Amino acid sequence: MTTNPISADGDPRRMLAEVRALSRRVRVDQRMTWAALLVLGATTLLAIPFDWFGMRVDCHADGSCEFARNGMLYFWPAAMLLAYAVIAVCYVRAARARGVGARVLPYAITGAVTAVVFPAAWLAVFLYFRSHPYPDGPLPYWYLVLDRLVMPWGMIGVALLVLVWLERNLALLAFTAGYLALVLLILPMNDGFASPHFSLRAGMALPQVLIGLVLLLGAAGFARAGRRQ
Amino acid sequence: MNAHPSLGLDDVVHQRVRLGILTVAHEARRVEFGYLRDQLDLTAGNLSKHLTVLETAGLIEVEKGYEGRRARTWITLTPAGTTALADEIGRLKQLIARVETTPEDR
Repeated sequence: MTTNPISADGDPRRMLAEVRALSRRVRVDQRMTWAALLVLGATTLLAIPFDWFGMRVDCHADGSCEFARNGMLYFWPAAMLLAYAVIAVCYVRAARARGVGARVLPYAITGAVTAVVFPAAWLAVFLYFRSHPYPDGPLPYWYLVLDRLVMPWGMIGVALLVLVWLERNLALLAFTAGYLALVLLILPMNDGFASPHFSLRAGMALPQVLIGLVLLLGAAGFARAGRRQ
Repeated sequence: MNAHPSLGLDDVVHQRVRLGILTVAHEARRVEFGYLRDQLDLTAGNLSKHLTVLETAGLIEVEKGYEGRRARTWITLTPAGTTALADEIGRLKQLIARVETTPEDR
């Protein structure tokens, strides 16, 4: 049996099928999913000390505390830009070594845009609550989800969706869906785990540790799958 | 009545190897000679002949250079090549649709 990838002699259906198969093979050879997840996972873990030590916490006599995560604001915009630049360079170099080009511009643009969204949202919320009273009751659920989306970990999920589109990568789509569910719906990324066993800072750090580990485990999984291919 | 889609097929593109070259070059943006040779399972001489046909037709650009000490040949699709590939794929789809909608001979 021949394995010639273009063996259809004039049969339009087979020619079209083989065109699609060739396109798919090139896209697989352009993938560096594990590198993107590794860089994003490492950046997430690296952010934790910035959040921990940069956080301003004011606790009152009644036991309630106010906090401002200023460290994140200093770390993430620059770290995101750097992370996406490193990922883009990794993609270009790896693709070049394999003998193909790489489409990284949409990913780099998304990275740059998401790096701006977080400080812009932070500034907007800061300015809003300077002139409006903070609500007494619990915040609506949609507000919490939106808040988590514009935070750096939500923005990582958005950038991963762009990578899914660029790579036409169904496995990455499944991973990203799980990641976004974790970041937006399950883990308390914006206010941390509230527990008498944790300090406020530790309660904020724990979800970040989990997210960092998820990204690193994803990187290991995709690297292993890539080696098998 | 519409002309049969096969009348619009371009002989330069409607050839299995050359269609493969254009497809890979389009998807890869820029492709190295060795990668094309391996993917299309061709000899270097055979691939060179097809590249010459496509280059003469203005559908690809061939760029020779060095990476370190290693000689490398890179192939890029021209805008005309992108159009030709899109036209060919469109015509193949039309042909398939026509075959599927034409009633069988009695």
